[in-house]
Amino acid sequence: MSEFQPKIVAFVCNWCTYAGADLTGTSRMKYSPQVSIIRFPCTGRIDFMLLLKAFANGADGIIVSGCHPNDCHYTSGNFHARRRWILFRGLLDFMGIDTRRIEFSWISAAEGAKWAQLVNTTAENIRKLGPFANYEKLRHQGVS
Amino acid sequence: MEALKNKAREWLDSRMVQLVIGYSQGSGDSVRAVFVHDPGQVETLLFDSRCRQNLAVYLLKPEVKKMGKAALVANLTTLRAVLQLAAENQIGEHDVLTLTVNPAGELLVLSTLEAIETYVAISAPDLSVEEKAELEKYEKLGMEERWQFWQEQFSRCLKCYACRAACPLCYCSRCTVECNQPQWIPVPAHDLGNLEWNVMRAMHLAGRCVNCGDCSRACPVNIPLYLLNQKLISDVFRNFNARSGMAAKAENTLSTFKPNDKEDFIR
Amino acid sequence: MARIGVFICHCGENISATVDVQKVAAAAARIPGVAHSVDYKYMCSDPGQQMIKNAIKEKNLTGVVVAACSPRMHEPTFRRACAEAGLNPFLCEMANIREHCSWVHEKSDATTNKAIDLVRMMIEKVKKSKALLPIKVPVTKTALVLGGGIAGIQASLDIANTGHQVILVEKEPSIGGHMSQLSETFPTLDCSQCILTPRMVEVAQHPNITLYSYAELESLEGFIGNFKARIRKKARSLDEKLCTGCGLCIQKCPAKKIPSEFDANMGIRTAIYVPFPQAIPNKPVIDRGHCTYYLKGKCRLCEKICPTQAIRFDQEDEIIAVDVGAVVLATGFDIKHGDFFPEYGYGKYKDIIDGLQFERLASASGPTLGEIRRPSDGKIPETVVFVACAGSRDPAKGIEYCSKICCMYTAKHAMLYKHKVHEGKPYVFYMDIRAGGKMYEEFVRRAMEEDGVQYIRGRVSRIYERNGKLIVKGADTLLGARPMEIQADMVVLATAGVANAGAEELAQKVHISYDAYYFYSEAHPKLRPVETNTAGIFLAGACQAPKDIPESVAQASAAASKVAALFSQAELIREPLIAVVDRSAPPLYSTCVGCFLCQSSCPYQAIEKEEIRGRDGQLIKTVAKVNPGLCQGCGTCVALCRSKSIDIQGFSHEQVYSEVLALLNRRESDV
Repeated sequence: MSEFQPKIVAFVCNWCTYAGADLTGTSRMKYSPQVSIIRFPCTGRIDFMLLLKAFANGADGIIVSGCHPNDCHYTSGNFHARRRWILFRGLLDFMGIDTRRIEFSWISAAEGAKWAQLVNTTAENIRKLGPFANYEKLRHQGVS
Repeated sequence: MEALKNKAREWLDSRMVQLVIGYSQGSGDSVRAVFVHDPGQVETLLFDSRCRQNLAVYLLKPEVKKMGKAALVANLTTLRAVLQLAAENQIGEHDVLTLTVNPAGELLVLSTLEAIETYVAISAPDLSVEEKAELEKYEKLGMEERWQFWQEQFSRCLKCYACRAACPLCYCSRCTVECNQPQWIPVPAHDLGNLEWNVMRAMHLAGRCVNCGDCSRACPVNIPLYLLNQKLISDVFRNFNARSGMAAKAENTLSTFKPNDKEDFIR
Repeated sequence: MARIGVFICHCGENISATVDVQKVAAAAARIPGVAHSVDYKYMCSDPGQQMIKNAIKEKNLTGVVVAACSPRMHEPTFRRACAEAGLNPFLCEMANIREHCSWVHEKSDATTNKAIDLVRMMIEKVKKSKALLPIKVPVTKTALVLGGGIAGIQASLDIANTGHQVILVEKEPSIGGHMSQLSETFPTLDCSQCILTPRMVEVAQHPNITLYSYAELESLEGFIGNFKARIRKKARSLDEKLCTGCGLCIQKCPAKKIPSEFDANMGIRTAIYVPFPQAIPNKPVIDRGHCTYYLKGKCRLCEKICPTQAIRFDQEDEIIAVDVGAVVLATGFDIKHGDFFPEYGYGKYKDIIDGLQFERLASASGPTLGEIRRPSDGKIPETVVFVACAGSRDPAKGIEYCSKICCMYTAKHAMLYKHKVHEGKPYVFYMDIRAGGKMYEEFVRRAMEEDGVQYIRGRVSRIYERNGKLIVKGADTLLGARPMEIQADMVVLATAGVANAGAEELAQKVHISYDAYYFYSEAHPKLRPVETNTAGIFLAGACQAPKDIPESVAQASAAASKVAALFSQAELIREPLIAVVDRSAPPLYSTCVGCFLCQSSCPYQAIEKEEIRGRDGQLIKTVAKVNPGLCQGCGTCVALCRSKSIDIQGFSHEQVYSEVLALLNRRESDV
């Protein structure tokens, strides 16, 4: 019985976190291969439905990361994203969806180390939480 | 409700409006919406504590718009819906002609958005004490209990979209569920799609829902949809100090922000 | 039918050391829609790029995925290669299997599988990609410069010298700004007017510059390259074509005791006046608020005396409409007046003045002809106290920031005083000395060591009058916060530099953002200091933040270079990764229902209202429309739109949805 390897999807913005993750690579810092990145122009672009789609397709955990407030390349995309996450997270929590499975973060293009740390911490946390059993049951009930 | 009937008759007679949207007796003890064109029909109009349906939902239906200028018999949440629709550019000053009855039983004619704002300002609390208590009851359940509760509720969902049809703020001509490229929400009524549909609708109403309760009343399988919307109403107010349906020119909660919006969960 | 070409790069050993690149290529080949899948040592090299071009032509590819380094590195390289081979560049995507995979994981199956996932994700994205064409926006090659201080003057000259037309609008009757009010400038002690006036004359004489003085911006509409501005030319009550600037009207005007704004209320002027002798244009203006004719209907002496009959009492404001392609805001700043520090007694005691007022005293053409004299009795003060940081760096009273120039001009003031009053005793109360510019530190040192200015590190707590002296109470913190009391004859407060009155209104007129202090916001605090978030509108000088003359001039030239770059091409070419609101056939026209959440969320004012009308002119619906000249492609509107009526090219709904699904749905045939 092999150890559970969580599948984690990261939704990141091009200008800060994606660049920060590039820096992690250039610096050859190592982290867990469980996390794969999808690139967006800005965290403002990240539709909350995409997070649900990730869970519905087998993700055990999600990372959402972008520029620090006031640093958004497009001035205010991350501010809009922040409001959206505050409400979305509250709603998911109210419905019993484990919000510990979604990590939100602000990581700048200079914070390569922070990205590695975030990935490793998240992978470890999700590993401890185990597979997303509740959503697993939902997935197999019908076509998604 | 003589004053109401007289006013309606007067407006229809003078052709000030072509239509009065109001309430009348339905089957049994229920009331139903009624569309009065003929001054002779105003006798059917009534207004009492059973009149909870949010009639603003009809204002944007193309079939109703074709009937001409409408006067609306409105309760408090209907008036708030009117203001929210105005704030979202769906109705203008010239579309507004409402009749309401204040708690003292007096008939009020609110013919401008400003008049509606003034009336609504003095009377609308956020969530009532009872509503807050009920919400808290659910919030305090354990995570697994909450999950089981909502799974059970959604297992009954038929994807009939009655909630959407009843809601005055669901006026999109092409709802996201009708997109198939990509298919955001699966069509069949299984638990995953039901969950996604209800989460999406609740989020799309964040900062906009006026708490009229029509979605819950319309649901044929009695899913307590109002709980989801009230949870967001409470969160929107607590986090952003914003309330829907209070002003005709207001910012939308999700399309604006404050630099110091607070959260404690972002690393 | 999709025919995607997949190219897996080894990047030497950078990728192939930890990722089994052949396996990745083989897995990609098995994905439906992939027509070509190879691996190669260096995809970005010439032979590598040639491979891609050959495959495009030979296999009739409909899309290309290059799995290699970060797209932030080589996306332009591969997109260009595709374009050269006849494939639309936006049908090419990169999978980052180096920075995000081979460099950060150990060699293992998991690493190779992740690389396969990433490649699969981009293959599915490319299947939904659309061919896009760059956006072309026409450009009107005339610049509008608002503000005729040193920054506005410099910007105007620089743009005009590139051969383009400039319209310079200044709200005062003369250009010159605050620099024209200064006596001498740090760190050289150059006479301010002497270095400024030649520039002012150059502006007046430059064939490419049209100067509208005593004028303000009435409205600005449009977008980059295509602005329509309306300028309100206020009525001078004068026919400028006839006026020769002889000055007879000013000599004869009986209303002589009006406080002069140019002299910072330290001097007086007449109702018909020219602000200062070197004014450009050197034509007077009638101050209708103080002129006897406008107040009481009498006098008209200027009209009678004018040799060319240039006076026009019934002249009205004129609105001038102009088409411009770029706007430079150089509207400058002001210093804080008033009694925000009642402890300091400004306004209560006549001999407590601010920095600009001291400049006028020191100025050779000022109200005292350059002699430092007290406003109250005209005596020469023997002891002058200069209070630095009077209002700045003070979170308690509202101005948190440092006003940057006060340390320098306070040193300058103290030195000028000492130069003019040899036996005078200047004191400076300071918190820190900020003298970071070239020759600045040496300048301050000169004040302390050569001119004997007494610097006391400490704040002033109170100033009051006693027996005809101004008692300045402060502390000397370098001596253990020892209380100090100086009996001064005059006090000069270095008050905070603040945004000009009307800054907020102007910012709203041109749709740029501003901060809590009404200074205008730059697009990026470090890398884009002269651009704003509104394309085509640039900043120069102290309207962005308090700054000194060298910096204002530098920024003005920088802004001019941005304008020149904009004007250097016939059309503005922009990448098409922007938002688009859907349009379809009647009767729907668009799924947009016109709620305009998108409009309120856009930081670039890129979303407009479009009225869709039937053939009979009847309004059918009002929907959103994205201005392709303005949209920067953040996608916030796209995520907000409830009906998914707005989409963004390059990161469309279909594309990102496919990416999520592809990333997670690893197939058995993949591994």
